[in-house]
Amino acid sequence: MTGEPMTTTTPAPSAVGPPPPFDLELAAVLDVLGDQMSLPVTVDMIPAMRASFAQWRTSDEDLSRGGAFEVQDLSVPGPPGAPAVSLLVCRPTATSAPMAAIYYMHAGGMILGDNRLGLPEALDWAQELNLAIVSVEYRLAPEHPHPAPVEDCYAGLVWTATHAGDLGVDPDRIIVAGGSAGGGLAAAVALLARDRGGPPLAGQMLMCPMIDDRNDSPSSRQMAGQGVWDRNANSTGWSALLGAGCGGPDVSPYAAPARAADLSGLPTAFVDVGSAETFRDEDVTYATRIWQAGGRAELHVWPGGFHGFDRTAPQAAISRDAKAARVRWLRRVLQA
Amino acid sequence: MRELVAKLAALDPDAGAAVKVIAYFDRLIEGQAGLEPIVRGAAVLAGCPARLIDDERRVHIEIEADGRRRDAVTRPDPAWLSAPVVPGGPQALWLERPGPAGPIDAMVLERATAAARVVLARTRRGVAAGCVTPHDPASVEVVLDATVPADLRLNAARRLGLDRTARARAVALEGGLARVEAASGSQAPDPDVGRRRAGVGPAVAVLELPSSWAAARTALRLTADGTASDPGPRIVHADHLGGLAVLAAAVVAATEPAPDVRALERVGADAPWMLATLDAIASSPSLRAAAGVLSVHHSTLQDRIARAEHLLGWSIREPQGRLRLQLALVLRRLHRNRPLEAEWDRRPPWT
Repeated sequence: MTGEPMTTTTPAPSAVGPPPPFDLELAAVLDVLGDQMSLPVTVDMIPAMRASFAQWRTSDEDLSRGGAFEVQDLSVPGPPGAPAVSLLVCRPTATSAPMAAIYYMHAGGMILGDNRLGLPEALDWAQELNLAIVSVEYRLAPEHPHPAPVEDCYAGLVWTATHAGDLGVDPDRIIVAGGSAGGGLAAAVALLARDRGGPPLAGQMLMCPMIDDRNDSPSSRQMAGQGVWDRNANSTGWSALLGAGCGGPDVSPYAAPARAADLSGLPTAFVDVGSAETFRDEDVTYATRIWQAGGRAELHVWPGGFHGFDRTAPQAAISRDAKAARVRWLRRVLQA
Repeated sequence: MRELVAKLAALDPDAGAAVKVIAYFDRLIEGQAGLEPIVRGAAVLAGCPARLIDDERRVHIEIEADGRRRDAVTRPDPAWLSAPVVPGGPQALWLERPGPAGPIDAMVLERATAAARVVLARTRRGVAAGCVTPHDPASVEVVLDATVPADLRLNAARRLGLDRTARARAVALEGGLARVEAASGSQAPDPDVGRRRAGVGPAVAVLELPSSWAAARTALRLTADGTASDPGPRIVHADHLGGLAVLAAAVVAATEPAPDVRALERVGADAPWMLATLDAIASSPSLRAAAGVLSVHHSTLQDRIARAEHLLGWSIREPQGRLRLQLALVLRRLHRNRPLEAEWDRRPPWT
């Protein structure tokens, strides 16, 4: 060292670069949607957002796809001491033989949505690969904080697996799937099934999953105020689910799967996420930790994708590729 | 997406559907999107299949309403909504829906064709002669500069849509502006330069464009405003110059005007019709034709010729006198349009 006075600059530990640019077609769609997609998500906006989601609800007619699917709403036992859980079952009418099933958890940040949200894509898989879809209506935060949502999901899964024969489903070929909050719930249900000796799962499909309540990854900070479901929106969702404990030392891995110390012994995983979204780093880390634990995972990071890009802009070239990758994985895993 | 746009427009009347459509294509243009995203945008915003067909550029893209690209190549139905990409050109962008166009359809056609025009101007390939070429200034500068290594000039030519084997012409425009245009065949049509004067260079291989540029600048010196005080052609092709190119090289900034040029200036001041009349006589196959060009009676022309010959001091009806007149008019233009500075030769200012 020299004797000269030193100027110490403490490098900010949180230094990240500018947000990665959005894919061009996705950016064009964001421009069209304007404020509709980038409204800040706060607790007091939850009722209005739920009402807005409700108007986009998929109708019975849309679910049946001209008779291609038989649609049933089943009420099955909920978690111990909790109300019954409703399951929406869509089964291809063309086949009677036992078939593989997708056990589906909808998106909505733990605070929004119902079990029809996102089903059109799942029905596309079902039509192409001859699958049944079982979509669970879990209770939402903040009225029903953790563990209500994940326990509802798990109870519905256990019922589905034990009544697979009644549903015409092959119990050895059930895949849990979901996007965003639903992806986090799918990952959590897979952890619960492992830890409680529950139903064996053929796979877990985690689409841009919401899995880390700490909400402090580089991508979370980098995308603050940008795109769809930014850090503040994410904070609203996690706080609604976890209350004061959010981000603290005692959060359960069944609430936030990124908290799980052990990711071994899990069903084969599919993880996808956009490079320009809050969840990029937690999702990449989750897949990486599955490999490090000796597991199987397929990871897709779509450049310039914002959160849920394939649903918001399904026509974009990158969205089509993202959706095709999911079908290819399902086909491989199910050997359908 | 069409329904989405309609819903959003209903939610937010101030930012109506048209604004949404404009925003979508503006972003694609800004991001330099290719043709497929533009056609896909047209399809999803219009809510029906869309296609872009440009036979000349061998472009054929068909996109379904859900964004999927179709492999099949079919002929469009003339009843569908369509618009040309190049104004006045053939119908190129098609929406597979019969008319009449609603406000969203009309805006989609308008904005998508505008976006496609930008892309085609940027990436044009193998275009027939006469098409308006992109005038990317940096690339034009490089292909016209003989001091730039050949591989860099070929790259720049590719950016202008000219491959290694293409033939092209340089065009020198009034004011020191340059263009490069694809050429096919030996006959060059007049370039589309609006009201500007232009010298058109010969068709050459891409690497010979600097010589075409030099010839184009010479041709430009032989152009005129086409007015009473500066009669003559606004566009001159270097291919037609013959020995006049040698004459042009002989007239530099320091050259003293020949006595016949001074005589022209003098007689030009005698009457406003004088120079235009002399130019018509010099460039028409007969005096009768010259009278037609000038819209004057034959006898009027005879009177004017007598006056001109008197002032000039030589006959302009005899072959030799006519050649002398032609040379005097050409020299006058060469003096009016002086050769450009050496610095300009090396690094011209561009369109």
